Amino acid sequence: MSINDLPVLSALRTKMQWHQERQRVLSENVSNSDTPKFRPRDLVEPKLDKAGAVTGSMGPLAMTRTSSSHMAPSGAASGFDQNRNAGFETRPAGNAVNLEEEMMKAASNQMDYAAATSLYSKSLHLLKTAIGKG
Amino acid sequence: MANDSSDFARSMAIATSGLRAQAGRMRVISENIANADSTAQTAGGDPYRRKVPTFSSALDRTLDAQVVTLGKIKPDQSNFRVKYEPSNPVADASGNVKYPNVNSVVEMTDMRDAQRSYEANLNIISATRRMIQRTLDILKS
Repeated sequence: MSINDLPVLSALRTKMQWHQERQRVLSENVSNSDTPKFRPRDLVEPKLDKAGAVTGSMGPLAMTRTSSSHMAPSGAASGFDQNRNAGFETRPAGNAVNLEEEMMKAASNQMDYAAATSLYSKSLHLLKTAIGKG
Repeated sequence: MANDSSDFARSMAIATSGLRAQAGRMRVISENIANADSTAQTAGGDPYRRKVPTFSSALDRTLDAQVVTLGKIKPDQSNFRVKYEPSNPVADASGNVKYPNVNSVVEMTDMRDAQRSYEANLNIISATRRMIQRTLDILKS
């Protein structure tokens, strides 16, 4: 069993990936805050089982190669669901981005990411202590 | 292209497209304000016509994300302001001078809006930078 297979590290890694993906979605929302007919999007929080794997509808649907002559699948869709119900205030141009709301989301995303990275390094530190090098 | 390691870079690139679009919008607004009193060169001619920037959302294939671009800059078709100034050299036969359809209050509110959006994009970039820093901090621990 490698270090990466530890449930806590695997769960934290998934959470960090989720925050990374969410930052991209929020960045899209903010940069398109003046684009007509643009609807903001957000990600649904991942649900993890006890082993740190993503459960529910979150499982990534990776493309498979059925023949060796096919091109390698690339750009697989993100494993995280998109929450399309975000945004309720629509301007006359059809744009529903609320900058204040997006800023709040970006700030909380950043703080949660910081928490996850701290937990990750603490876990690594714990492992070091366990093997007597802490 | 869209691999995990470049996700933060993608966030920053998307926010940068927002910065670029807002900067372009600011350029159009400053052009409008600067020309708020530009009359025609010839008597009875049309003066400066206000310009309106448009935004459009485009899929950037290298980033695999929706970036924003400054679309066509369209002329505002509203009526010109007309003042009765018979002594003005560019007045028409009846003594009226056409002034641009620029309203400084509208331009000011547009400018504040552009500034606000620009700052929001900057915030996203600094938040993303802090997140990258946190990732690098794992290595130090």
